[in-house]
Amino acid sequence: MTPDEPASHPAESPSPSAPAAPIHLRAAVAGDIPALVPLLLRLKRLNEEFDPLLKVRDDADAQARQVLRAQIADPKAVVLAAEGIGADKDKVVGFVRALVRERPFYAPEHEGVILDIYLLPLYRRRGVGEYLLREVSLALKARGAGVVTAEFPAQNEIAARFYAKRGFRPITAIHARSL
Amino acid sequence: MAESATAPGPPARVGRRRVVPAEEAIEKRREDQTEVLGRRAVELSRFYGGKVETVPKVPVRSMHDFSLWYTPGVAKVSRAIADDPDLAFELTGRWNTVAIATDGSRVLGLGDIGPVAALPVMEGKALLFKFLGGVDAFPVPIRASTPGEFMAAVEAISPAFGGINLEDIASPKCFAILEELTKRLDIPVWHDDQLGTAAATVAGLLNALALTGRSVKDTRTVLLGAGAANLVAARILISLGHDPHRLTLVDQKGILHAERDDVDELSVRNPWKYRLALKTDGGGRTGDVARAVEGADVLVAASTPVPGTVRPEHVRAMARDPIVFALANPVPEIWPEVARGAGAAVVATGRSDFPNQVNNSLIFPAVFRGVLDARARSITDEIVIAAARELARGAERRGLDAHHILPTMEESEVFPEVAAAVADATVRGGLARRKLSHNEFLDHARTLMARPTRLVRTLARAHLTRPMPRGAIGRRRAT
Repeated sequence: MTPDEPASHPAESPSPSAPAAPIHLRAAVAGDIPALVPLLLRLKRLNEEFDPLLKVRDDADAQARQVLRAQIADPKAVVLAAEGIGADKDKVVGFVRALVRERPFYAPEHEGVILDIYLLPLYRRRGVGEYLLREVSLALKARGAGVVTAEFPAQNEIAARFYAKRGFRPITAIHARSL
Repeated sequence: MAESATAPGPPARVGRRRVVPAEEAIEKRREDQTEVLGRRAVELSRFYGGKVETVPKVPVRSMHDFSLWYTPGVAKVSRAIADDPDLAFELTGRWNTVAIATDGSRVLGLGDIGPVAALPVMEGKALLFKFLGGVDAFPVPIRASTPGEFMAAVEAISPAFGGINLEDIASPKCFAILEELTKRLDIPVWHDDQLGTAAATVAGLLNALALTGRSVKDTRTVLLGAGAANLVAARILISLGHDPHRLTLVDQKGILHAERDDVDELSVRNPWKYRLALKTDGGGRTGDVARAVEGADVLVAASTPVPGTVRPEHVRAMARDPIVFALANPVPEIWPEVARGAGAAVVATGRSDFPNQVNNSLIFPAVFRGVLDARARSITDEIVIAAARELARGAERRGLDAHHILPTMEESEVFPEVAAAVADATVRGGLARRKLSHNEFLDHARTLMARPTRLVRTLARAHLTRPMPRGAIGRRRAT
């Protein structure tokens, strides 16, 4: 009834403690942008499936390049690139994009927000998503975040399950209607 | 949702224009024929007021007998079933009764015409069930606006039935419905467009492979069209040992592979297709149908009923002695003579007027006969495979050649064998409420499958069914 697993939220590996993910994770650099843009757009197009108010803009390609360029340079943001190993060595097969946001009224006062996690399909269901989540959480913590949150389409139940299994719970709801 | 594939490049219209005059004549004649048959069917439907009725199977000597068949005697029968629900399969007709359930969302080539309009088709299927399988089948069109509603309705009526036949439900929701109802119900659930077509296809393929000296293991196969039948055929071929990386699925968007642009969308909309995209990863290929068929041993097209969807050059690009199944109805993706002219060693279609008809009716009556005789709790792929293998053996017993890789509908001695093989597989899988020996299952199947022919003849002879009224056609074939 439900997809094996959404693009953005790979399911748990058979043994969650398995350390060796079949990828190499590193901070993204400007040179990665051409490889990251298509992956980011794949994720946004998937989100479009869940709600018409998440329709991807015609200029999303240029936007993606600009946003990635800014965030890769921004010390408050985290962009990690996952490279394959073996035959896929040097190929970017996934990425995480997150940033640290200030919370003026709540404690802890810095929130690490996971905006995107994407993995190419063949890298899913192998514990990589779990690994990406762990690594991005550490990076956000290192930037002062005391809480980590994840944003994804409300209709994406599999994403909700992925995070719920890892101790996340909904704290803010965003409701929308067209104007 | 139309799940079909067209060859990339020239649009279908161009394919049509390429058809040589002889083929155009065939097509025209067929269209005329379909029109005539259609008018006659309407006439006869009105004359007979439908196609099936219920008939008592017990003697009724006088009204007194109703104290046995009905109250008060029947109360004790009910109490026995209340104590042991499985007794319903012995004390009532449940063991031989099937619901033909549809939401009318994809009826024949007519599309989403709704449940009431689907009724004539379901009646026809019920007649086939009885005539070929000896199964009492009830047409059950269901007005449902969501798959959930449909499934709830089927679940609610399931106590009356020994099996559920899902019919004419659109892809991909048919996958979810079959999967979920199979989980929920303790009787077999079947969907012909998925399992029946796949089983008949695989049976034909097994023999075509044997004929051309191939084994499933080393075969490179292209499945053109990623609808219900081909997605299940892919799954079954993989269970039979086909290397997923030598299996290439192709649809309108080209070769289905793990990094195709729409693959994430598929993960949400059609997880069954998504899973195969990952598993096969295009058989190591990306691109269009022309790339897919390069050096392939087998091409199974179950896509768009337009000749030219598969072109001679596609066949020529395949391996030596290629196998081509062009299963679209009513018009195959490539005409058999064109495929053979391009070098195809074995050709099959979905039509009865060419050799090697891949036909659901070769499978579903026997499968139901088998699972009903074993009082099955479910149907598994192992059972489907057992049916396919036995059907293939049936053709083999009469002798295989390029024009005989499948039994014809006339080779009816094969069907009880398939039923018995299905019943055996049900027992082996631990899904049988009733475990008999192979020979017992075979005897039951032979008896029950032979009876309807006698019944129909006897009713006609006794003028209990009215003789077919004269009409433009049909006089010759009155039975």
